[in-house]
Amino acid sequence: MKNLKNFGGSFSRRRLLAGANALSVSLLSSGLFPRLARSGEPIKIGFLAPLTGEVAAWGKPGLDGCLIWAEWVNALGGVKLGNERHNIEFVAYDNEYDPGKARTGAAKLIREDGVQFIMMLGGDTWPGVQPVAERSGMLVSTLLPSDLTPDTTTLIAPAEVHPIYNVTGVEWMAETFPNLKSAVICAQDDALGLPSLATYLAAFEAEGIELQQDPLLFDPATTDFAPIVTKMLSSNPDIVSLDTCYSDYVHPICEQLFQQGYEGKVISCTADFYEQIIEKTSKEFMEGFIFQFPDFDDPALNDPRVNFKDPNDFFREYNRRYPGEWGAVSWEYASIMDLWKEAAEKAGSAEPEKVLAAMKSGGKGAHAFGEANWWGREFFGIDNALVGNWPVVVIEDGKARVKAYKSIPDWYDRHGELLIRHMEALGQMYYQRG
Amino acid sequence: MLAIVPEAARFRYLLAWTALAVLLCALPLFLSYSQKEILVFTTINVILVVSYRHLTLTGEWSLGHVVMMGCGAYGSALASKQLGLAVPLSMLTGGVCAALVGWLLSYPLFRMKGFYFLIGSFAAGEVIRLLWKRFRDPFGGPKGLKRVPGLEEFEFAGLRIDFFDPVPYYFFSLAVAIVCIWLLWRIERSPLGWSYHAVHWGDDLARSVGIPTRRLRRRAMVTASFFAGISGALLVHYVGTVNPSRFNVEEMVYVLTWAIVGGVATLYGPILGVVSLTIVNEIILREFGLDQWRPLFYGALLIASVLFLPKGLESLVAPARSMLSRLWTRSA
Amino acid sequence: MHELLLQTFLNATYAASYIALVAVGLVLIFGVMGVINFAHGELYMLGAYGVVAVYVGAQQSFLLAVAVGLMFVGLVGLLMERALFRPLRDNPLSGLVASIGLLLILQALAAIFFGVRMEHIPPVTQEVLRFSDGVSLPLQRLFVIVAAIVLLTGLWMFLKRTRFGWALRASAEDREAAQLQGISVTRIAQLAMVIGAGLAGVAGALTAPLVRVYPYMGHSVIVTVFIVIIVGGVGSLEGAVIAAIAYAFVHTFVTTFFDGVVADIVGLLLMLMVLVVRPTGLFGARDRA
Repeated sequence: MKNLKNFGGSFSRRRLLAGANALSVSLLSSGLFPRLARSGEPIKIGFLAPLTGEVAAWGKPGLDGCLIWAEWVNALGGVKLGNERHNIEFVAYDNEYDPGKARTGAAKLIREDGVQFIMMLGGDTWPGVQPVAERSGMLVSTLLPSDLTPDTTTLIAPAEVHPIYNVTGVEWMAETFPNLKSAVICAQDDALGLPSLATYLAAFEAEGIELQQDPLLFDPATTDFAPIVTKMLSSNPDIVSLDTCYSDYVHPICEQLFQQGYEGKVISCTADFYEQIIEKTSKEFMEGFIFQFPDFDDPALNDPRVNFKDPNDFFREYNRRYPGEWGAVSWEYASIMDLWKEAAEKAGSAEPEKVLAAMKSGGKGAHAFGEANWWGREFFGIDNALVGNWPVVVIEDGKARVKAYKSIPDWYDRHGELLIRHMEALGQMYYQRG
Repeated sequence: MLAIVPEAARFRYLLAWTALAVLLCALPLFLSYSQKEILVFTTINVILVVSYRHLTLTGEWSLGHVVMMGCGAYGSALASKQLGLAVPLSMLTGGVCAALVGWLLSYPLFRMKGFYFLIGSFAAGEVIRLLWKRFRDPFGGPKGLKRVPGLEEFEFAGLRIDFFDPVPYYFFSLAVAIVCIWLLWRIERSPLGWSYHAVHWGDDLARSVGIPTRRLRRRAMVTASFFAGISGALLVHYVGTVNPSRFNVEEMVYVLTWAIVGGVATLYGPILGVVSLTIVNEIILREFGLDQWRPLFYGALLIASVLFLPKGLESLVAPARSMLSRLWTRSA
Repeated sequence: MHELLLQTFLNATYAASYIALVAVGLVLIFGVMGVINFAHGELYMLGAYGVVAVYVGAQQSFLLAVAVGLMFVGLVGLLMERALFRPLRDNPLSGLVASIGLLLILQALAAIFFGVRMEHIPPVTQEVLRFSDGVSLPLQRLFVIVAAIVLLTGLWMFLKRTRFGWALRASAEDREAAQLQGISVTRIAQLAMVIGAGLAGVAGALTAPLVRVYPYMGHSVIVTVFIVIIVGGVGSLEGAVIAAIAYAFVHTFVTTFFDGVVADIVGLLLMLMVLVVRPTGLFGARDRA
């Protein structure tokens, strides 16, 4: 025993010496700033999202969309910065939706791969990346604007403005069907469901639609939705709102609504693969279903105001390569790349700081669904969400159709304080989070 | 104990320990930045898995141990954020929180044994996780807590040491890990530890000679929970965020596999397990770029290791050591 | 209110049916092999993907798809016994880790071959039995209930009336004693794995058109089933059925009258309470494991 203590002594002294040595070397060698691409070299873009595990459906289909985007852009000569052309190359890191792994991934992408921009799903993984982004000044995008806070100026939410766009569907519904006055809502109890819940509650209140019962929360692991639907239908509502349920829940809930004999209006944030829901229910049941995500083969997307390039071709090519994978994230990451490319070309540089400045100059940006404002000071504490019009999509005769483009800022100007009140009640405002 | 070891063997011991110390200190020199990050997480997981082994000394396998780590993480994060405690103090608070929760849970749980204890501990852990989700104040709900302060940076001999960087944090967690492992080793080698073994190998027998088995199990659980809590606290002040899904049963399954693949007969078995499996999963398999195939290879590796190395990686150590010493005597 | 109670009763009956099928299979495996099959949820998942391949992919009848699911998963069970659990018979913890490894492999295979997204399975029938306004039972759910009753009764008859069944029960109750009686442990283990896995597979196949079918669907099922077999008492088949019914009713009624998250907490707390009062479950004869 005594001898062992001696070992311990020499052990720790050596450790200290070698440790200080290692420390100084590593401090010197660690470059804090992202490398810049030389002429002709490809520009690297990081893709930091879950690619395996339960949340993979929010990352993998997006990466696939980006690969098509890069192929098309590179075929046309890539990105033109000043007088030089660069190809775009995506570097993916599977963060498994874990903040610690996301932090490691961000460090790897920035320091070892030398990326100029990182696209993330955000959500649970963002707080892990936040300090890395703040220290390196890396430009990062998220699909979940609820990640935005005034502390991180380099985080942008340029594609999805979830959940605020949900107000457009409710507004359109109230205009078109003024006699629908009572609603029920169910939501999964997670980072996506709760802010969306607050949004629907505010939107319903703004239109004088009354909630029949407390919102029904369910755990994301729920498999059988019969009890939830039974509960909702027990108060005979005019409207059933599915909140921002993942498509995996929208399908079984719709099926149950159908089988338990519901005939009223259904409004939801998403309806991915709605043709499958129709097959599981009926064309009549799904007629008039309101949601927020258009098909990209919808001719309405060829409207000159829409900025997404070749939506119909993109949709076709995507479905050819990855049948059955199409969903909102399939185009959202790619649309962020459109925005990034335009800003980088305007700035003549891929440097994160310059791209961000070019992106936000004039306070306006080319969102996938039309020109939009950099917005959010009141709501997120920072103007880093690109908010403008959002389509209201309705199923007609078995096909999703864009019925209207409605302005989110206009709604907010009228009912902003309602939204903030409901967000506060659920603890979702930026100053309440964390 | 070592006093009876002959002089030459003692020299070899000294050499081996020195080599290990040098290796641990020089390790960051050979790693890329992201690998250094993984090194930090691995060091934290070493504490977790060694504390897990401590619990298994009494023969019970828990599926709630990562939730204890979570109690430490939440406790420490809240202590530093809400009470404004300095980070090293809040880490200790986190450990104490985890120990307290472990103590509370041990009352219902140690009425059960074997498979019942395994699933009972899982259920108890799930209840705690659901409570974190349910009570947005103070736990932050499903999104958890963020902006948890890190260790304060300081100046040392003209060098600014910033614990946001993986290398300083690696040395900090390494120091904590050494202290924790040493303490756990001392407990195991104390009379208390011997009675743990007695509880493991013969429950009724131990009781019949007057060993209070349930109280001993409880003590092992409180101790193990404390150190799991410390590992959680180390994690939360490095990553800066904590949420309930970080401590779900899938994470627990990883801890279980580290322990079993490494072997739990020795203190170093689980360490071998966590280090080698992390290298395989986070470095080697990622290098291949086959992200979707990664769980498949990892699963196949688990099966292969229990089939072909039934006593764990630790069973390779003794043959390796004797081979080394044979080489040593031949060259000498 | 009256209708709400009746409808909830029907909802709970359906939930109890498929949970009982999966739970009885797991109990059988644990009873005979002494190993916790963590991959049991993935066997359920495989059954569902059997329907995806046969009914959706090859456009065959649903009944055939269910039969294929039953046999294919039963065969996987047999392979598991030979390749994993037999070599690891003396070491239940290694068996546990091996089943975790298998779980990861099966999930990854499903994700690689079928994609991470939910599969679409067209309804087999859209007929709904309407008892009154607000009380209805879709025929597809009735299938599951009927199939569960038929299969579990069949299993019960098999266990009570045949020699094999007698040997199986004997092994599940006391492995060493059974061995002393001259029962071939290997044969019985194979039988238990085929039946146990097959039941999980058939449950997955039957419910495939009703639940979301995706590579990680086994997870939520295994959690429920673990709770059920613990409450019922490990090794007790009757206990598993009764606990499945009890759990399904409590969970469904709490979901309907409070919400889903509260139901999860209540379910877990109830289980802990049962264990505190009876540390070997409701029907667990004595301490094993």
